[in-house]
Amino acid sequence: MKIIVIVRQTPDTEAKIKVSADGHSIETEGIKWIVNPYDEFAIEEAIRIKEKFGGEVVLITMGPPRCLESLRTGLAMGADRAIHIQDEGFASAGPYTIAKVIAEEIKKEGEYDLIITGKKMIDEETAQVGIHVAEDLGIPHAAIVTKVDIADDQKSARAQKEVEGGQIIVDLPLPALLTCERGINEPRYASLPGIMKAKKKPLKMVGPDDIDAAALGLSPEALSGGGARYSITHLEVPEIKRQLHIISGKEVPEAVTELVTALRDEAKVI
Amino acid sequence: MSNEIWVVADLTIDKQIRKATFEALTVARTNLDGTVCGVLLGTGVQGLASELGNYGAEKVYVVENEVLGDYSPEGYSLALSELIQKHEPAVVLAPNTTQGQDYIPRTAARVGAGLVLDATDLSMTDDKRLVAKRYMYSGKSIATVEFQDHKPMMVTIRPNVFKPSEDSKTPEIVNESVALSADNLWGKVVEVKRQESTRPELTEADRIVSGGRGMASAENFPLIFNLADTIGAGVGASRAAVDAGYVPYEMQVGQTGKVVAPSLYIAVGISGSVQHFAGMGTSKVIVAINKDPDAPIFSKCDYGIVGDLFDVIPVLTEEFKKLLAEG
Repeated sequence: MKIIVIVRQTPDTEAKIKVSADGHSIETEGIKWIVNPYDEFAIEEAIRIKEKFGGEVVLITMGPPRCLESLRTGLAMGADRAIHIQDEGFASAGPYTIAKVIAEEIKKEGEYDLIITGKKMIDEETAQVGIHVAEDLGIPHAAIVTKVDIADDQKSARAQKEVEGGQIIVDLPLPALLTCERGINEPRYASLPGIMKAKKKPLKMVGPDDIDAAALGLSPEALSGGGARYSITHLEVPEIKRQLHIISGKEVPEAVTELVTALRDEAKVI
Repeated sequence: MSNEIWVVADLTIDKQIRKATFEALTVARTNLDGTVCGVLLGTGVQGLASELGNYGAEKVYVVENEVLGDYSPEGYSLALSELIQKHEPAVVLAPNTTQGQDYIPRTAARVGAGLVLDATDLSMTDDKRLVAKRYMYSGKSIATVEFQDHKPMMVTIRPNVFKPSEDSKTPEIVNESVALSADNLWGKVVEVKRQESTRPELTEADRIVSGGRGMASAENFPLIFNLADTIGAGVGASRAAVDAGYVPYEMQVGQTGKVVAPSLYIAVGISGSVQHFAGMGTSKVIVAINKDPDAPIFSKCDYGIVGDLFDVIPVLTEEFKKLLAEG
């Protein structure tokens, strides 16, 4: 089976978010970058499927040079090769652009069985690249998947999708695209031998000159900051003022009465 | 090219219109400039048009097709795309439910539209380009996103943020057919699993009680369930509680769990990590019960009791019961 995993990098969530001088992006100085947690589920799932059926796992990412680290992590976990669509400017490319460019690059891969990616990004909280790629490639998709089983004949996948109040299980013909939800698996840690092997695995670099933006219906600006279809004009870190009414050192009945009274009379939520 | 603002109805499995649809209609009506229209996709849905009219839809496009009888991302996106290409609305909105997150991106890709997901505010520029606000960076920041002049402009709206308000209209019904047949369906639904629960679903609940690592075991979670039931709340959990196996992952609230925005969020035995707050930080009122006075949550909540949850929760449950019995 040939499984393609769309991977992206995000800032570590512990990172304090500071708005940069331009007022619409974040300060990236000193930020620790990690593999987008939802994409880690995707890498893990792809490797498990490969372990069961044989084949190869190909990682693909679009972003600045630092994204190489995420690819190395995926390769260390057990992926076989990686494609880095790379340019410093891609750090601010939006989901519309990223989906179009990645879909085009995947077409160059020829035949594949499955594409897996995370359901969303934890930084910009966008959740459309995977599904957009599926539409551009004309293949079925299942989103927010918590379980996938590939049929023995490797021609279809049974995916469990999370919905409000339950799950829906669907069979999809392959090739198809899946977006992963928390709960699908626990990603493995890269082993030391894995990390060593990763250094030798094939890495294909694709630069902005290899991309025919016009053919994809993208303006040159769309490949960086300019954005395609919309742009972020303002970013703020609001202070939600909380009451901070903390009750301590009182007997439980008294403390509870104080709380309930406040909820009823002050907050008016009960 | 029209000035129409479409709100696509989100239907439950039982063919009820989800409240989030009425929220979207309300924001379209009050915040945007254009003719607000509802869109119904399915079978036997014509009768629902008047409900959309109650919340201000002046027109309702009804697409009845056997293939749309059960929701599918390919069915809905093909039908909506065809409708969009025919009528060229300026704006297309939908609730950011699991369905909205599923078929709207596919539709946007198909018609080449810009799409902003999970908006918590909407407005328009003077030249009628949509401006959306949404959370980024685990709920730590709010981004203002401005659409370029390319239509349609598509947005999904976060449920439970806007209060739906009625504005009764008798909508003009426009019956449309789309070129959709069973061959267009790729996915075959094999099973629908429903979590039998009378409790409100987390993303729609107005009150939520969540348990964390402090609960110490799955066997202790009935304390949370009982408390929640006294106030008709949904029940959630922190990642720690899910990882420890106390509760299933569907109950997780947080960065890699559900994002909720209730009026009241009671966090029991939860330390209050950044990741947890990514999922509930915009709750109107946050209450924390924790025995650790240094728990981060105590610097980010409205009300808190520093105390042993095993002592506090039973007493709190009784107090709520009494309060609600008083009416």
